[in-house]
Amino acid sequence: MNVLILRTKTIFSAGLTIGLYLLTFVGHAQALTISGEVSKPLTLQSADLKAMTHTDVTAKDRDGKDHTYSGVPLVDLLKQAGATLGSELRGENLTKYVVIKAIDGYEIVFALAEIDPEFATRTIILADTVDGGPLAQGVGPYRVVVPGEKKPARWIREVKSIDVRFAK
Amino acid sequence: MLLLRRPGFVSMTINSKKMRVWTLGIIGIIALGMASWKAVDDPVPTGPYTLQYPASFGGRFTIPADNPTTQEGVYLGRLLFYEPLLSSTKTISCASCHQQARAFTDGLALSVGVTGKTTQRNSMSLTNLLWVRQLFWDGRSNSLEEQALVPLGHADEMGSKPNTAAKALQKTTLYPALFRLVFGSDTITDVRIGKALAQFERTLISANSRYDHYLLGTYQLTESEKRGMQLFNSAPSMERNVRGGNCAHCHGGPKLYQEVFHNNGLDLKVTDAGRQVITGLALDNGRFRVPTLRNIALTAPYMHDGRFATLEAVLNHYSEHIQNGPTLSHELPGQTSGFHLTRNEKSDLIAFMHLFTDSTFVNNPQFADPHHRVHRVHRVK
Repeated sequence: MNVLILRTKTIFSAGLTIGLYLLTFVGHAQALTISGEVSKPLTLQSADLKAMTHTDVTAKDRDGKDHTYSGVPLVDLLKQAGATLGSELRGENLTKYVVIKAIDGYEIVFALAEIDPEFATRTIILADTVDGGPLAQGVGPYRVVVPGEKKPARWIREVKSIDVRFAK
Repeated sequence: MLLLRRPGFVSMTINSKKMRVWTLGIIGIIALGMASWKAVDDPVPTGPYTLQYPASFGGRFTIPADNPTTQEGVYLGRLLFYEPLLSSTKTISCASCHQQARAFTDGLALSVGVTGKTTQRNSMSLTNLLWVRQLFWDGRSNSLEEQALVPLGHADEMGSKPNTAAKALQKTTLYPALFRLVFGSDTITDVRIGKALAQFERTLISANSRYDHYLLGTYQLTESEKRGMQLFNSAPSMERNVRGGNCAHCHGGPKLYQEVFHNNGLDLKVTDAGRQVITGLALDNGRFRVPTLRNIALTAPYMHDGRFATLEAVLNHYSEHIQNGPTLSHELPGQTSGFHLTRNEKSDLIAFMHLFTDSTFVNNPQFADPHHRVHRVHRVK
């Protein structure tokens, strides 16, 4: 009986060790979700994002140097999810805002109109590469880049979700 | 309902007319049913509970619609917080590991529960939980209602199997009537225990430290505290000749924390996966919640595993021993192993951190063990 318990324990702890090992070194695929006040909530895998048309943006990071970021304009992502943009961005839809969350818990907000090219002159992108290479650990898988913004505090790293909401 | 009491302070009251009506209706029944108990205690306060906090703390919190904060709920939650009947051995209450004098921690690296075994992680300070959105070191709970039941049922903490604590309380003369007053019927369940505990925990607001007085302009910093604050708030920069520990990046703001999960470089090879166990994400390996620094001088030992006995040891870590592992926080200097603070800089930072001690919070009679007021002889049938 004792032996049996011991064995069960060993198997269990071995399973746990392997599980943790897998968690540590493989991790789950980091999907991006787009939800809230949209007609087609989306979950995008990295391949889906890679396949979308990319825009290049050159902007100064915290290091004070110009970098070229390549990514998908937020407006394209939100259009794909069916957010009220373009001719629909009027009336009460102007009270909508976009909450972007990072894996580490950081959160920032844009007004929906800040993202629409009919309002804004700058193109905010969800970058997946910088200077032709992948984003660093702790920055990727995706980072918002806001060209021209003086403080990069809304250049949120490790983006995991984009949620459109009504101000209530 | 929001009303301003005094400049800079917000009072929040849960307005519930219904609750008041049935409270009045039921008060007579309670008076009869609890005559023996009431003889040895003050009347149970009833009505909406007003949460008071500085305007700078902000209103970013949610109280579940099905558990409004009431005076009778907080009263019950406080009794339960100090109630050993909640544990399988009837020897351990929430307060065993969350002692008010230590800002609701226990002074141990790892806590000891009913089995005598140590818990996996260090007991967390219970302060300003009203604003915390993801509770525990790994952020596993999204509400205080849910959180409170985790240690209750954990085999190595209070060890109560589902609804056994509820059954034990049901057998007392004290609790059924109180549950009736708070929840409308005297049926005691784990869910109701969690709700009452959550109500009490929401009231544990700390906003009266010397640092708060400094922010209000009613306390003047010493020279050492001033230098400490400068280091606390500054990101170091060689080019601009700025010294700093960049502490405020994660521990800044009037509440002294940002709700983020970071790996602060304790180990090169992570020994506790932390947040990753909850999310399954590789990026979360070795990440833990950034705790508030409120009352930090009272909550030793430090870190999720209590490995550092003193604030000096904590600063030595951030100064010289940061391990540059793959998920190290972006805000920490892994390449240089730390901020390389001088001995004087460390003592200035520690002087500053002592300003976060809120002695009215740890001595507030509203948060203390209420059971001495209740004649224990009357409690168990």
